Amino acid sequence: MKLKIGNFPVRDVCLGSENGYKDGVLTVDKAAAIAYLKECDDHITDLDIVIARPGDDTRIVPVIETIEPRCRVDGRTLFPGVTDAVVPAGEGELKALKGCCVTVVGKYYGSFGDGVIDMGGEGAMHTYWSKLINICLVGDTDEEFERHEQQKCNHALRWAGHRLAEYLGNIVRSQAAEEFEEYLFESVSARAARNNGLPNVVLVLQPQSQMEALGYNDLWYGWDLNRFLPTFVSPTEVLDGALISGSFMPASSKWSTYEMQNFPTIKELFAEDGKSLNFVGVILSMLNVALEQKERAAIMVGNMARNLGADYAIVTEEGYGNPDADYVRCQVVLEDLGIPVVGISNECTGRDGFSQPLVTLDSKLNALVSTGNVSELSDLPACATVIGSLEAMNRDGMSGSWGYDEKLGKSARDDGSIIMEDNNWFCGDHISGFSVKTMVEY
Amino acid sequence: MKKVIHYINQFFGGIGGEDKADQEPFIREGVIGPGMAVQAALKDAEITHTVVCGDNYMGSNTETAISEILEMLKDKEFDLFIAGPAFQAGRFGVACGNICKAVQKHFGVPALTSMNEENPGVEMFKQDVIIFRGGKGAVKMRQDVKVLTDYANKLLAGDRGGGALAEGYFPRGCRHEKFLEDVRENTAAYRGVQMLIKKMNKQPYQSELVIPAREAIPIAPAIQDMSKAVIAMVTTGGIVPMDNPDRIQSASATRWGKYDISGMDRLESNVFKTIHAGFDPAAANADPNVIVPLDAMRAYEKAGRFGRLHNWFYSTVGTGTTEAEARRMAQEIIPSLVKDGVTAIILGST
Repeated sequence: MKLKIGNFPVRDVCLGSENGYKDGVLTVDKAAAIAYLKECDDHITDLDIVIARPGDDTRIVPVIETIEPRCRVDGRTLFPGVTDAVVPAGEGELKALKGCCVTVVGKYYGSFGDGVIDMGGEGAMHTYWSKLINICLVGDTDEEFERHEQQKCNHALRWAGHRLAEYLGNIVRSQAAEEFEEYLFESVSARAARNNGLPNVVLVLQPQSQMEALGYNDLWYGWDLNRFLPTFVSPTEVLDGALISGSFMPASSKWSTYEMQNFPTIKELFAEDGKSLNFVGVILSMLNVALEQKERAAIMVGNMARNLGADYAIVTEEGYGNPDADYVRCQVVLEDLGIPVVGISNECTGRDGFSQPLVTLDSKLNALVSTGNVSELSDLPACATVIGSLEAMNRDGMSGSWGYDEKLGKSARDDGSIIMEDNNWFCGDHISGFSVKTMVEY
Repeated sequence: MKKVIHYINQFFGGIGGEDKADQEPFIREGVIGPGMAVQAALKDAEITHTVVCGDNYMGSNTETAISEILEMLKDKEFDLFIAGPAFQAGRFGVACGNICKAVQKHFGVPALTSMNEENPGVEMFKQDVIIFRGGKGAVKMRQDVKVLTDYANKLLAGDRGGGALAEGYFPRGCRHEKFLEDVRENTAAYRGVQMLIKKMNKQPYQSELVIPAREAIPIAPAIQDMSKAVIAMVTTGGIVPMDNPDRIQSASATRWGKYDISGMDRLESNVFKTIHAGFDPAAANADPNVIVPLDAMRAYEKAGRFGRLHNWFYSTVGTGTTEAEARRMAQEIIPSLVKDGVTAIILGST
């Protein structure tokens, strides 16, 4: 399968009265975009588009999702089974607006999986998003059934974000891209015939699927991953919108849809493909909570890797805590089958750094990359501008924030300064591979 | 100018050897013996006082010796405490570990020492105290002091340095995140793929998380006589009264609560609920007994399967809760269970 992505660098985004892209400036007809999104979903009661640029003294919270604006040149929908019908992904031509993202923000209410982005100051280093122009879609809905729930599907706002990403992508649909990325994934048998003597490497992705109720988990072609079993997929399908993020999981351990569209570990494996290794594809697994489900998934991943002829594997999880059991178990099963592994995830060592880093440990794990510590404290001054609602941090059970602590007070203080665990930075540990953090013994 | 207090034994204090090892502790202004090398290597800091204590005195009267020294330090202002280096000298090493640990705890001032890896003080204190990897004997004094003071200078300047491996002290099991320069070669994706390539090619690589040796907790022996067993229920499933009176956090909990269940045959929905944010709460809220099985326990109690059920259940939230906090909460909960005559607990998870 061959996926070609035409890139359009975005140096600035302006809100105006018509849509256009010229010389790196994306102009968005805000009124038309909002009207379109409201027309698509009558649960949306309030919607605004606000631009936040790198270096701005701006704090965005509660952040629900980030998405890269793109379109499919052949007109197929950008997120099959989500923004439109289930159609094939992983092949063909995309156009992408680079250097920006659609950032979905709750106007008033947050939930467990929502996070924080700081565009400037010390907080900016905590997320990749501060390097991008954030096209913030700030809204509220009439989804009263979950208004005061800690776990929210955030269906209307998340889907609006995906639609806006496609709406913006369509602005450049008929324009010529400045540069291209190309990802060619050859069939496994074609690779075998090539017989280049390089070891075969499979990437095991463990996206979030812990919620038993539907509507909160990551989706594969629109299918809830809680009702899924490990499946062999093409890495180009992942890069092409077949996988979208959910609303569950503490923010810093989450993979947003933007990260799935640009999955850095997939891109690094493609960069080495045919040079130092053969990238034989992705085993898409999941993170269901019952022990039997975990064991079944690990067994199936192990056997699938064997049957694909994988010599080595990389395993990475979207989460920490309970999902560590899947992350560790899967690596142990692969190592026991003679398929050596590198694992990529974050740790939870507590504020003093002395706690056990993963929920379960096994000495067979001997090659791990650590992308951060969910429990570090961030204490940061107020920002001049807040997009969304700081109060959500105190009120809505956002992971890593609190409304009361006898020593630390509340997370969002009355003067606009914040104190929270790193848990609450939106995708802050960037387990997908963007992370430039590691863990050190002090 | 920052202030440092230095600790040495009778030998380095110039009092004498084995014959003077019973020397009681004393404190002097300024530097003595190896303190001169330490002083010379410190930037913007001076050793204001030196404490000398005989190794045997510290070894056989540890508590007395520590409290005497803490008393001597009570009215002193200092920013850092340095003990040794102790090299391979076992009793001196243990003394350095003991006094560093006590000073840190009592005054909240960082304490550093240095010993050889074969010194028993390393195993005993490496988790509590920063111990630099030192040479076997005093011939390594200059190098050992340099490594320790390089770090001390950073610490006094407010920099916690590059970590145990980079600075040269024994890892303590204390892990914190560190930001690397923002370039592609430092991304987790690049690091992961390159680590795999090294693993493939049998080249050396450094795992960023080295799995520590496991502390196995033995399973408790079986109860011999169930007819006398007093059983309590403890849960990490976050079952609490509707108003969550102890304000237990929904994740990363640091608090726990105990709730009276005397006279109840089951936990009623809308009287109890779960505040645990790590699982779908619907089933537990509809029937809290699925997490704290009071209904089943009462049935067994009535059937005479065990002595009696304890009148309180204990609850906290397990999701994201660190091992250290869990351990602390257990240490708070267990004495009260023991005091109430509980002989066994059922620890329910989710």
